Amino acid sequence: MSSILRSISCGLRNGLVKNSGVFSFARRFKSEEIPEEETRPTVRKFDNVQRSNLTDFGKYVAECLPKYVQKVQLTAGDELEVLIAPDGVVPVLQFLKDHHQAQFENLVDIAGMDVPSRPYRFEIIYNLLSLRYNSRIRVKTYTDELTPIDSCNDVYKAANWYEREIWDMYGVFFANHPDLRRILTDYGFEGHPQRRDFPLSGYVELRYDDEKKRVVCEPLELAQEFRKFDLEAPWEQFPNFRHANPATEEIETGNKEEK
Amino acid sequence: MAAREPAKRIIQQVRPILSVDREEARQRVINLYKAWHRTAPFIVEKFDIPKSVPQVRQKLKEEFIKNKDVSDVRVIDMLVIKGQMELKEITKIWKQKGHIMRYWQESIEYKPNDFLSKFMSGHN
Amino acid sequence: MMASLIRRLPKASTSFKWIHSTSAVYADDPLKHKEAPIVENDVILSDQEVKEREKLSHLISLPKEKTLAPISGVPEEHVKTRRVRIYVPPKNAMQSGTHNIQRWRMEFDNRERWENPLMGWASSGDPLSNMNVDFNSKDEAIEHCEKNGWKWFIASEDKPKKERVKNYGVNFSWDKRTRVSTK
Repeated sequence: MSSILRSISCGLRNGLVKNSGVFSFARRFKSEEIPEEETRPTVRKFDNVQRSNLTDFGKYVAECLPKYVQKVQLTAGDELEVLIAPDGVVPVLQFLKDHHQAQFENLVDIAGMDVPSRPYRFEIIYNLLSLRYNSRIRVKTYTDELTPIDSCNDVYKAANWYEREIWDMYGVFFANHPDLRRILTDYGFEGHPQRRDFPLSGYVELRYDDEKKRVVCEPLELAQEFRKFDLEAPWEQFPNFRHANPATEEIETGNKEEK
Repeated sequence: MAAREPAKRIIQQVRPILSVDREEARQRVINLYKAWHRTAPFIVEKFDIPKSVPQVRQKLKEEFIKNKDVSDVRVIDMLVIKGQMELKEITKIWKQKGHIMRYWQESIEYKPNDFLSKFMSGHN
Repeated sequence: MMASLIRRLPKASTSFKWIHSTSAVYADDPLKHKEAPIVENDVILSDQEVKEREKLSHLISLPKEKTLAPISGVPEEHVKTRRVRIYVPPKNAMQSGTHNIQRWRMEFDNRERWENPLMGWASSGDPLSNMNVDFNSKDEAIEHCEKNGWKWFIASEDKPKKERVKNYGVNFSWDKRTRVSTK
């Protein structure tokens, strides 16, 4: 994202950009102070210019789409995440793709996540890449087993198979998808294997039956049952960080949160 | 052994999948049933299964009757969607004979239930 | 000789080309820049499709409790005949740490196991015997079970353990720094 600002300044020098909104956005959201260089011995040092640029861009997105953006955060130091309402998948992705200063033209991946304890148990995560500005962004939304999510196939053609994967693995229905059907599981398979309450072994087993001359499907029978190993240490590993979640830093936006 | 009293019937606003009311969902189920019903001779012929057309239709009816108590419009829609997908898998012959025969579950040996058969099989 | 000439040529031509490049011309007057017309996606939809989308764009009211058993993909046998135990996992008997017990867990009832006639292993026909799902509170676990149609029961006390005054061991807790080296 640092390249965004760099290109803006280039554009100003060349006289290419005169009255576009970008200049004002860069000035309006320019962070007051850039934090000092990290001197502690950490595993990974972040580029503070890049971080402040990402913060600015996150604020800009939140201001442009106040209806949909619920939260903007930086994860793992320098990864921008935009948390949106499920209705806003298509508008937000369209905005990020078509905005001249973003140009997130590539949909790298769509991922799913299942947290059964939440009322909306599934999270759908879109990873976008802007080749123009060498920048990545992550868009997250949420749903449950029955609420459909709008397919973003009209925005990114790459979404077709990814959404089929999500449908197959989690059972999230994508509305207006041109060809929603199974992609990874076998025909006749029941259930969605990536859900947390789907057993590791599955419910059925297949074998070739010599008499019937075909593959038959039977309820699972394990010759040796899986043993339950509890390998988790009973000790709290980092009591000093009990209530901190250092992986994500929220970026303050003007929008009020609803999630 | 705590048991909770039945939750109050709270109405909530949700996004529809295909149908907005019960009547429309019912119509979709009937359409799907008809489509499957018409496919029965095709299934018997193309997949060379050891079943007759009435047997296939009987099975089809069983599969639909199994979900007769479902009342949630969105669950009905989901079932209809899954049914349509399966129908497509059959008409395009993506499924094979083994997949079709899974509906009858013929190879499953059920565990003994009554006393005598348990005794005969060595369980108690 | 030839090579050096070729090398020099593009250098000379770059500045020339820059002035006459199309981007420079357009930059002077952005209005002359022609763009492809924006086509609305909805144009290609038929009237019926437009109506359908309009209809689905509104919310509908449904009762809050859900029965997902028909679409969850769990075989009917494992929905109707199983019972879920919701409990707090017990403390490790060998260590006094309590970090991994502050959660609620669901577990299915035990089914018959038998000895494998060939190897003597413990065999089982129960796919759900090794499945654990963790929750933050028992209400979440109950809700999860109810929407999947499983019968459930609570097998743990909800109230916290009585605080016990520890007289001796507390002297040696990790933040006291009472342990000194013997060397």
